Amino acid sequence: MPETKHGDKFIVPIGPQHPALKEPGHFEFTVDGETVTGASVRLGFVHRGIEKAAEERTYIQDLYLLERICGICSHVHAMAFALGVEKLAGVTVPERAQAIRVLVAEMERIHSHLLWLGVAAHEAGFDTLFMYAWRDREKVMDLLEQLCGNRVNYSINVLGGVKEDVNDVIRDGILSAMDYLETRTVLYLKLVTTERTLIGRTRGIGIMEKQTAARLGTVGPTARASGLERDIRLEAPYAAYLQYPARIVTEQTGDLEARFIVRVKELYESFRLIRGILSTLPGGELTTKMPRRIPEGETISRVEAPRGELFYYIKSNGSDKPDRVKVRTPSINNFASVMATAVGHKLADIPMILSGIDPCFSCNDRMVSIRGSEGQQAVDWEELRLYGIEYYR
Amino acid sequence: MSENMKSILSLLIFPGGLAVMAAGMIYEYIDRKLVARFQNRVGPRWFQPLADFIKLLAKEEVIPEGIHPVLFQWLPVVAIAGALTSALYVPMFGVEPAFHFTGDLVVTIYLLSILTLCTGLAGANVANRFSIIGATRTLTQLFSYEAPFLLALFGPAIAAGSWDIAVIEQYATSHPWLMVFQPIGFLVALIGLMGKLELPPFDAPEAETEIVSGALTEYSGRGYALFRLGRSVELVIGLTLVAAFYLGGVANPLLFLAKTLGLLLIIAALQSLFARLRIDQTVGLWWRSGAVLVLLQLLVLIALKYFGVAI
Amino acid sequence: MKIGSLIGDILKSFFKKPATILYPVERIHAPERYRGQLFWEPEKCSGCQLCVKDCPSNAIELIVLDKVNKRFVMRYDKDKCTYCAQCVASCRFACLNMNSDQWELASLRKEPFTVYYGKDEDVSFLLAERAATSHLHSTE
Ligand code: SF4
Ligand code: SF4
Repeated sequence: MPETKHGDKFIVPIGPQHPALKEPGHFEFTVDGETVTGASVRLGFVHRGIEKAAEERTYIQDLYLLERICGICSHVHAMAFALGVEKLAGVTVPERAQAIRVLVAEMERIHSHLLWLGVAAHEAGFDTLFMYAWRDREKVMDLLEQLCGNRVNYSINVLGGVKEDVNDVIRDGILSAMDYLETRTVLYLKLVTTERTLIGRTRGIGIMEKQTAARLGTVGPTARASGLERDIRLEAPYAAYLQYPARIVTEQTGDLEARFIVRVKELYESFRLIRGILSTLPGGELTTKMPRRIPEGETISRVEAPRGELFYYIKSNGSDKPDRVKVRTPSINNFASVMATAVGHKLADIPMILSGIDPCFSCNDRMVSIRGSEGQQAVDWEELRLYGIEYYR
Repeated sequence: MSENMKSILSLLIFPGGLAVMAAGMIYEYIDRKLVARFQNRVGPRWFQPLADFIKLLAKEEVIPEGIHPVLFQWLPVVAIAGALTSALYVPMFGVEPAFHFTGDLVVTIYLLSILTLCTGLAGANVANRFSIIGATRTLTQLFSYEAPFLLALFGPAIAAGSWDIAVIEQYATSHPWLMVFQPIGFLVALIGLMGKLELPPFDAPEAETEIVSGALTEYSGRGYALFRLGRSVELVIGLTLVAAFYLGGVANPLLFLAKTLGLLLIIAALQSLFARLRIDQTVGLWWRSGAVLVLLQLLVLIALKYFGVAI
Repeated sequence: MKIGSLIGDILKSFFKKPATILYPVERIHAPERYRGQLFWEPEKCSGCQLCVKDCPSNAIELIVLDKVNKRFVMRYDKDKCTYCAQCVASCRFACLNMNSDQWELASLRKEPFTVYYGKDEDVSFLLAERAATSHLHSTE
């Protein structure tokens, strides 16, 4: 690897294959010894053109396409899209279906947060916690598989409702798993707040003030760990969150420890919501009739993904295919905070700070930009095509 | 059998050479298996270290550009040679050391450091940033645990009044376990061994989530295989040393097995209990608590010795 | 602040059976709703093509042999299917279902991935016809 020296700076490049996250993102950290003095990021290595592809497919097909934007929060993508399309079509989805959607969303949150806990522990070199967290996550995965029929892309949504119902066996299974997970969560909370070697890596690291968090537009647990009260489940309740209100979990310190605590405490919230839903699951139909052609119009749909606010903009031209679908994922909002908080920390802390926002790289396929001599530039579709032809000639 | 023949045998087959390498692989397996079980996993099968070794030997050794190729290829050889040589002065497998002379304790400790030194040099030799940072960390760590580790092994030496490993071992065998009288020394020696082997939580020099594989990032094939084997060999030697000094000696193979495996169990548990220490935390730990405490213990020992108290 | 708070857990794990399942030596049953291979019953099918239209990955094709007499053959590509069960939800006559037992579908060749469903005589008719046309093409 050739040395890249800019003046006296020593640049550590990480990526495009990140050694820690095994995902494509490119980071450049300017270091002075072990201390980071500058940071830059380049994303978009996984541009799949999903938004464009969505315009070529029918609404029903898009549901499954959009579900595949992210493998971890697949359900919320499908749910956000379905809610938006249902709003456009003006149909009311049965209460039971909405409750099941929320149930799956909360189970997915548990799975996502446990996954994150494991990843973050692995970044901290705490592989035992990593293994335990993932072992316990397996419980929720199994339940989701039992309930929906799939482990990762659950595909439980259809436009106008859900496909699968909760029966007694599944309900009991979920309830007993929640009890088990709750005892485990007690342990994890104790661990992240008292284990000295872990606290040595998290307390006071990557501090982000409330103002900074607000200015950078952070969302989700990252924002809540800095004391920002941001949660779409409360601000604009969707699906069944009006009947089963979530309680917000915030921390004031804004460091990595706070992000650990917020996520672990949100697990409790999810357990509570799931128990609530299962005990008072409304009866009724699972689906309602849905038109194939969606009336002309545009709408936005916002949901709280495990990583923060997920935003969908859907424009319909009256046919059975959307005119435009725009997705804004939570990770893209949070990335700026990594770059802002990294400076001044030890190189060893960087993977921890990065994983602290629970980054999802597949969510970051925004646009293609070429870093040329005249700085960044945006490229449009035609230029990109020509560039591709030129590149592979 | 002529004297020369015997020397060569002990150098190549037993107790040095092959036997130590085999033991290294077996101990590496046990260590991995134990850690896996602590983490509720299945862990590798018994031949995994051997399979890894053979696989690495069979692979192409990529020699990166812009380096000193001779250094690149010979550093692993020197590293493992150092580790294997040190085995000759240690009562491996509960049999008498193959060679001994007054002062071989100091020589052994330095022979054991050759591996770490070579790792550091190997990292500094290549132009890879991860390697260079890894090398810096490896050497920083070397300087932080080396002194306390040395002092911790000097405790029994002072108690026995000799610098000869064989003599100290005999002393330890004929007296109650030194671990009881010098608990600090025992702990520091054990944890120092973990630092030496770069086991978690002291694996900052090769933290895969930060710097890929640290100093050895550019190594593949044979060189990497030798470095890994060298580390496994050091694991056995280190365990033997600690057991011989602090756990009442390793008079016969059975005692050797029982004691070293017991220590390995503790080390495996310690590996699974903690989050990785940052390199500055490691240095702080060793110099602020480790070194000071053993030094204190050593001073007490010397004072007792001076006043003629039997220990 | 404590150090080594996991000690109880690691000791427990040490004596517990590992959580790992040694697949394929050890097998577990997929849950009842698990979405495995898709199956189609020709008797009930009306030929409305809704399932084909809604499939997000073009994994199914309804080949019409005779529309009036309802002779259809369904081509199903297991490797294209994303196992979303949209086709199952779309079909108003419950012709389609996904089998929870058949999910180990990996293959080293491409051919086993394509299957034809339908009444035996229809399938053989279709395949014979296809073989004939491909023969025609190759001789041209
Ligand atoms: S399960 Fe989904 S992908 Fe598979 S055939 Fe049915 S609709 Fe198509
Ligand atoms: S939706 Fe059902 S009835 Fe219609 S073509 Fe498909 S299988 Fe036949």
